Amino acid sequence: MIYLSMTLSKIFRYTLLAIFNALIVYAVPLALTFESWFFLSLILVIGILVNIVYFTDRFQPMKWILPGMIFMLSFVVFPAFYNTYVSFTNWSTGHILTKTQAIGVLEDRVFTPDDQKGLEFEMYILQDLDLNFYYVANLDSENILFGKAVSDDEIFSTSYATHEPSLFINGEFSTPDGYYQLSGKEQIANSTTLQELSLVIDKNTRAQLYKISVFGASTGRLTSTSQLYTYDEMNDAIFNNATNTICPVVKDNFECEGKEIEPGWRVYVGGENYSKLFSSQRIRGPLGVVTKWTFQFALLSVIFSFAVGLLLSMILNKDGLKFQRIYRAVFILPYAIPAFVSALVWKGLLNPDYGVINSWLGPLYEMLDIEPVKWLKTKESARSAVLLVNTWLGFPYMFLITTGALQSIPKELIEAAKVDGANGIQSFWRITFPLLMVSISPLLIGSFAFNFNNFTLIFLLSGGGPPIIGSEVSVGWTDILISFTYKLAISGGRGNLFGLASSVTIIIFALVLIISAISFRYTKRLERIYGNI
Amino acid sequence: METSKFFNWVKEYGWRHLIALMFVTFAVYPILFVATNSIADFANLTNSKLIPDGLTLKHYKLLSSDPLVPYFKWLYNTYKVALIAAFFNVFLGTLAAYAFSRLQFKGRRASLLTLVIVQMFPSFLAFVAIYLLFFQISDVAPFMGLGTHIGLILVYLGGSIGFNSWLIKGFMDTISPSLDEAAKVDGATDFQIFRRIIAPLSRPILVVIFVITFIGIYSDFILAAIFLKDKNLWTVAVGINTVFIDDFNADWGVIAASSVIAATPIAVLFIFFQKQITGGLTAGSVKG
Repeated sequence: MIYLSMTLSKIFRYTLLAIFNALIVYAVPLALTFESWFFLSLILVIGILVNIVYFTDRFQPMKWILPGMIFMLSFVVFPAFYNTYVSFTNWSTGHILTKTQAIGVLEDRVFTPDDQKGLEFEMYILQDLDLNFYYVANLDSENILFGKAVSDDEIFSTSYATHEPSLFINGEFSTPDGYYQLSGKEQIANSTTLQELSLVIDKNTRAQLYKISVFGASTGRLTSTSQLYTYDEMNDAIFNNATNTICPVVKDNFECEGKEIEPGWRVYVGGENYSKLFSSQRIRGPLGVVTKWTFQFALLSVIFSFAVGLLLSMILNKDGLKFQRIYRAVFILPYAIPAFVSALVWKGLLNPDYGVINSWLGPLYEMLDIEPVKWLKTKESARSAVLLVNTWLGFPYMFLITTGALQSIPKELIEAAKVDGANGIQSFWRITFPLLMVSISPLLIGSFAFNFNNFTLIFLLSGGGPPIIGSEVSVGWTDILISFTYKLAISGGRGNLFGLASSVTIIIFALVLIISAISFRYTKRLERIYGNI
Repeated sequence: METSKFFNWVKEYGWRHLIALMFVTFAVYPILFVATNSIADFANLTNSKLIPDGLTLKHYKLLSSDPLVPYFKWLYNTYKVALIAAFFNVFLGTLAAYAFSRLQFKGRRASLLTLVIVQMFPSFLAFVAIYLLFFQISDVAPFMGLGTHIGLILVYLGGSIGFNSWLIKGFMDTISPSLDEAAKVDGATDFQIFRRIIAPLSRPILVVIFVITFIGIYSDFILAAIFLKDKNLWTVAVGINTVFIDDFNADWGVIAASSVIAATPIAVLFIFFQKQITGGLTAGSVKG
């Protein structure tokens, strides 16, 4: 009876909910295994929210909001908090894993004790249709082992070799169907690959190709390996079985006789990243340069593109001017092109050796008898270039908004000023410009905030370069904070300094917060937002 | 008489045309240059010029045939990711906007304000955390982890949904409530009101938001760059800015061709929707 009273939509809803919960139940143990605590909490929060909202009919509005909210919580809000957490850790190359994972990796390491090398036997090399190598080890007539030859990386995921006496008929080796037997010469041709491969016989024993024979069977050799490190939970140390030494924990690594063992693991380090940013001379210097340039870049970009945009809209703001529509259409073109394309194209135009800009300026260089500018290769030229290109990218937007704002200024005001004897320049600075700023300034602040984090332009045009020499981290003269962060975390060529990068991100967050606060205060935008609510 | 008329014209209009033409050159030159170069038969950047001597389609042909530069695969990836992400972005944003516009509930003002504050921070700012989060998701659910389009789409979904539902809500508020009140009297449910009345009437803003979101995702570099490591999964933005950095001189023709293909649809779309897009943008953010 209960089922009959359920509507179709309810059945549908509970089915979806059941599938969702199944996914959550599937994900939780996995997250536990990988010790992704933050990920686990995210799953749990979403799981609980979804069930509360959709299981009952009590939270109608949330049913509409939650789907979008989940994505915003997961991929915008949550990363912001997670970022804060990461900035208090040593998370970086060499310290990516959790301690449990690092111990796991170390305990998988093996070594070959000296007394275990020996025992030679006949070995045959086969290849299947997919060109994978297989070994047949003829230890003795009782032990004929066959299996895939694998590299060290695959050893733990490969099944052990199997005993296949049927491969030998009357003591002669016969190639099984579907396989090809490599001749001695072919083995030599593949010897670099073959050297890396081994046949896994059991946990600690492998057979490897030892000597290649052109006539007759090659020789293999057994190597017996032992576990290199054993973790001692009592003392929280690992024992090196090869050298018989105890390697205790030192902060975020095990140390054997004063030497750090890679990999280490990630730990909470408190404010270490922040103090590094502000006290380490070789980071503080570049960070100061980058911060200052970020403000300069954003401010100058706004000023230049605003100046050009305003100039053009003033010029076109004239009754009876011909070709207005054509001019307007052309002026928005740079804005219509994706910035990642523009940056690439400008990089070509600015190329100091082949680019069209330097061939244009060629006569000028000759006339003034100066060296051609090495665009993007020196500090000043790179900074001028990114500003030039950003003006090109940004003036159409400024042109559009100032055109709109100019048209909304009542003509009578200007006329009245004229009557009172004001000339054009006076009426511009006293009337037009102040009125313009009232409606435009929030947009200018918005543009400033946008350029403050204009990663695409900087990274694709100059790559942040040219590099600042002598810095401890990879950084260049046109790097802004966000591209500096990117280099620290992803592409700096000095490993992934996630912890340090996150602490720089926190600085950006703080600065963006301040900019937004100013914008809110300055423009009373908050009230308009309240109006919308 | 004639000369003074001419001087008058110069004083009133002529100088305006002069300055305007200067900036027309500034605005158009790089675009024209790359467009003509994409069909020019010179081989490299060194001897490139605005007006080529001979025309050829070889750069475009090279783009479609070079196995090291799977350009059209990138283009396909970009459209796929941007269309899917923009669609769900607008869809989920519309659902939320409906609740904010039409349903009364506690915490409505607070949630709207939170949306605005959260969206002050561009979502890519926390890219380190996003990277590490998906690094861990790769362990648990590889199909949506780092290096997958699904993961990237999820991030794009979160990126602007708050802002979008904010804009859509503003539009829905302008739809007269008498319409849905009448429907309510006739016994329509919330979902029916949404589907039959509010959503269809909101179509103009939904199209614009879709276009803005699509262009934004299409143009994104940073998130796609940290997410996608496999060359065959790259988007255009990542692809052309990664493979063409070593030898600009020799690759110039192909660079020009790939730029034209990547930029033209977006430029057309942008110009077509220019009024609405700048209208929407001035309400809060700036195009990327």
